[in-house]
Amino acid sequence: MNKLKPLLTIGVPAVILFFSSCKKDPLNNLTNEESRIYVTNYDTTANFSSYATFSITDSVTLVQDNQFAGRSFDAYDVNIINAMKQQLTQRGYQPVDKSAKPDLAVNISRIYSSSTVLFDYSNYWDYYGGYYDPYYWGYPGYGYYDPYAVGAYTVNSGGLEIDLLDLKNASSNGDKLVGIWTGLARGEDVFNPANGANEVSAMFAQSAYLKK
Amino acid sequence: MRTIIIASLILTISTGAMAQHSLQLNFNYNVNFPMGTDFRNLTDKPAFKGFTAGLAYPVTDQFRVGISLGYNDYYQKFPRQVYSNGPGSDISAVISNSIQQLPLLITADYTLLKTGLIRPYVGAGAGVNFISFDQYLGEFDDPVHYTRFAARGEAGILIPLSNYSATALRIGGSYNYAPLKKLGVDNLSNWGIHAGISVPLH
Repeated sequence: MNKLKPLLTIGVPAVILFFSSCKKDPLNNLTNEESRIYVTNYDTTANFSSYATFSITDSVTLVQDNQFAGRSFDAYDVNIINAMKQQLTQRGYQPVDKSAKPDLAVNISRIYSSSTVLFDYSNYWDYYGGYYDPYYWGYPGYGYYDPYAVGAYTVNSGGLEIDLLDLKNASSNGDKLVGIWTGLARGEDVFNPANGANEVSAMFAQSAYLKK
Repeated sequence: MRTIIIASLILTISTGAMAQHSLQLNFNYNVNFPMGTDFRNLTDKPAFKGFTAGLAYPVTDQFRVGISLGYNDYYQKFPRQVYSNGPGSDISAVISNSIQQLPLLITADYTLLKTGLIRPYVGAGAGVNFISFDQYLGEFDDPVHYTRFAARGEAGILIPLSNYSATALRIGGSYNYAPLKKLGVDNLSNWGIHAGISVPLH
């Protein structure tokens, strides 16, 4: 039994440690492109062909830990805005100025989270009025609303978030600007200007229903 | 260096000659292959990173009981694809599945021949399987761990390094029963081949 004691107290943990270190780390086998995920959610009750026009916010909103942290318009933001405009136009929607009462509003946000715990995607919508004053879209006094299907997802920290809001039916939706589609991009190098167009393209590729 | 290796080998063989009834340390390198549709949907690649270490006590010249701890690391990366995440939700991701199994088993094995250059043996074991399953969507993962029943049946041959030595090479194959019944996966059962060495402890 004396021979067994050192084996059990030192040998077995050493063997377990040795075995554990043999695990192949999947992260070491991913390119930056492969590290990224694209999540799209949409309101299954929305009729996307009923909308004709859209307008995109003139800058990208920065959200830090669910707090408004400013607006940005750097090379990445320009690429995202242009890519959104191109994709929606290709799907049959017409870009108009926000003063022309568009059917759809496009809000683009960069979400950052300093927390290492899971970031609840739906919290983002809880503070939505803090990032985008409904007044901007010509609907002062209105609120925001996300159907559960749009808001429900949990990811580690944040990323690029694009939201399509239903302005056309704001009044009939109980004075709410309802989110009918969201796209989320997360992963390595997600805010690299060179990746912006591909990120938007990936979101649309998996949203075939999003068309006039 | 060569002298040291030869000297070590002679020492191992000669000490083994006086240790036919001592505790045996077994160490094997394994290659394991997933079985069943559920497991093969997660990965159909063999686990080339596999080891088993065990201690066996000789009850008789031919029958031993002991304990063993195994390790197998399965991994497979799937190309980018769009997956449904429920009604109204889709995810495009490169999925990587990483599965580790650590079966800790009580074992018994029986050598069919007492003597000879090649001595066939059969063995069986039962115990617990520590399972780690980590599915990565891109770089994002959500690891889960389970403890389940495990059982193993194996057969192979022992090749003693000399007629008088308890030190022997072990070569064989095994079937490893590993139920899971989680995540829509019934089991992570697999079969494997192994090669290793059995050394007496003093």
